[in-house]
Amino acid sequence: MRDRGLAGRSPHWVLTLYAVGVYAFLYAPILTLVLFSFNNSDVTGLPFKGFTLQWYWRALQSQTIRAAFANSVMLGIATALIASTLALLLGASFRSNFRGKQLVFNLILLPIIVPGIITGVMLLVLFGAAGILPSLWMTVLPAHVTWALPFAFLTIYPRLYRMDRSLEEAAMDLGAGPWTTFREVVFPQIRPGVVAACLFSFTLSFDEFVRTVFLLGMDRTLPVQFWYMIVEQLSPDLAAMAVIILVVSITVSLTGYVVVSRAPQ
Amino acid sequence: MLIPLAVMVLFSFWQKGPFGLDRTFSWSNWTRLVQGGIYLDLVAKSLRIALITMLITLALGFPLAYFLAQQRSWRRGLTLLLVFMPFWTSYVARTFAWLPMLGRTGLVNYVLLKSGVIGQPVTWLLYDEGAVYVGLIYVYLLFMTIPIYLALDRIDPALIEAAHDLGAPPLATLCFVIWPLALPGVLGGCLMVFLLGFGAYVTPALLGGPSGIMLGNVIADQFGAAYDWPFGASLAVTMVLVIFLLILLVRRWIPIQRVFLGTD
Repeated sequence: MRDRGLAGRSPHWVLTLYAVGVYAFLYAPILTLVLFSFNNSDVTGLPFKGFTLQWYWRALQSQTIRAAFANSVMLGIATALIASTLALLLGASFRSNFRGKQLVFNLILLPIIVPGIITGVMLLVLFGAAGILPSLWMTVLPAHVTWALPFAFLTIYPRLYRMDRSLEEAAMDLGAGPWTTFREVVFPQIRPGVVAACLFSFTLSFDEFVRTVFLLGMDRTLPVQFWYMIVEQLSPDLAAMAVIILVVSITVSLTGYVVVSRAPQ
Repeated sequence: MLIPLAVMVLFSFWQKGPFGLDRTFSWSNWTRLVQGGIYLDLVAKSLRIALITMLITLALGFPLAYFLAQQRSWRRGLTLLLVFMPFWTSYVARTFAWLPMLGRTGLVNYVLLKSGVIGQPVTWLLYDEGAVYVGLIYVYLLFMTIPIYLALDRIDPALIEAAHDLGAPPLATLCFVIWPLALPGVLGGCLMVFLLGFGAYVTPALLGGPSGIMLGNVIADQFGAAYDWPFGASLAVTMVLVIFLLILLVRRWIPIQRVFLGTD
């Protein structure tokens, strides 16, 4: 690690203590949730009445929860593949200058700034006006792709941008076609970025709620199913369900993080 | 993005009729929005909640970012990872996590009861504006911390050395050397958290109760239970306009693009 800036100045003990406090604030609710999910009590809360796995069993046996889980996974995979492919194509075209590049760039990043509730209702009205009925694949998938695209783009583009052009030129000079050059020279260099973009897009889609709930129609994704279960009645298996969601998305994101940090810069 | 916005503007001039949409042009949604002051108050309240959330996350996030920037080698990796990890998962699940924390049978009440601070479980921890702040700060702290951390990490150590050698006390170095250099990150983080807070929906819906309602919840209601799309459209257009004006205002001081790329 570079030794510059503030690095290397050991933090004052007050600051370290403060940081420990913030970490406690960040993790206390999550750990409490995990604890309660194993609590053998009909009420989500304390006192702790003994260890049980029944809430996990109940959540995993529910037909609706399983269907919602399957929907979320399929949607996440589709979003990951489409958003990463689009990000790759956009990134490739951004390496050369063209008119309106700045505008396109801002448009790609726009969904980050616009609140999810606005994106959700705007797409609802737009699809409604176009006569497209709300469903998982016709309305939710496009919404998730526009949401994940800026993040996928920001993961892939810096790698493409920093890449040494002369390698491609050398491949072309040696007679490789554009496709071969891409597959054999360009892609291996940006692969960690693409894999990470896929994984991050998956979790963004898997966790998304506001941009989903208005566009779902009769289908359910896991966060939406979870939401309706909270709103309709606070049942004791909610903590277990939340832990399942946490474990899936943190595992996938952590894999993405490892892929990025292991890759040679 | 522009087409849906145009459709929304168009919708805001229509009405909810007895048999679906009434597509005659009218200002009635907009007069309803302005008159009586309920909805303007709601906008003001959402702006206030966003502002307070922003200030508290700044106060919490700056020292944390400073701490992160001071770490070296594997400790930096670990401390950063620990900050990121909770944010890699569903904000619905993370917001939900506060229900068993603050609820009547929750952890906070349990600890207070056991330690004898209170005799009966308290209920005011949840379902009010205070709970909304806790939830929003919890969900958005990362978006304040990371831009500040990136700005702090870029500071040339020679500048800090120079201040030290010239006899500046640590506090003066912080105020006159480090703070101005961190300012781009601070402003970026503030903008991000303010926008996220202003558009919040999940947190006030789950933790806010009736008194914690924000603009996002009322918009959602118009497209859900109330089923008044045209009025909902006028509220949504209002939210977009406020955000747009805000960005125009701060553009002079904040390079918006750098906020999102974290680089120049």
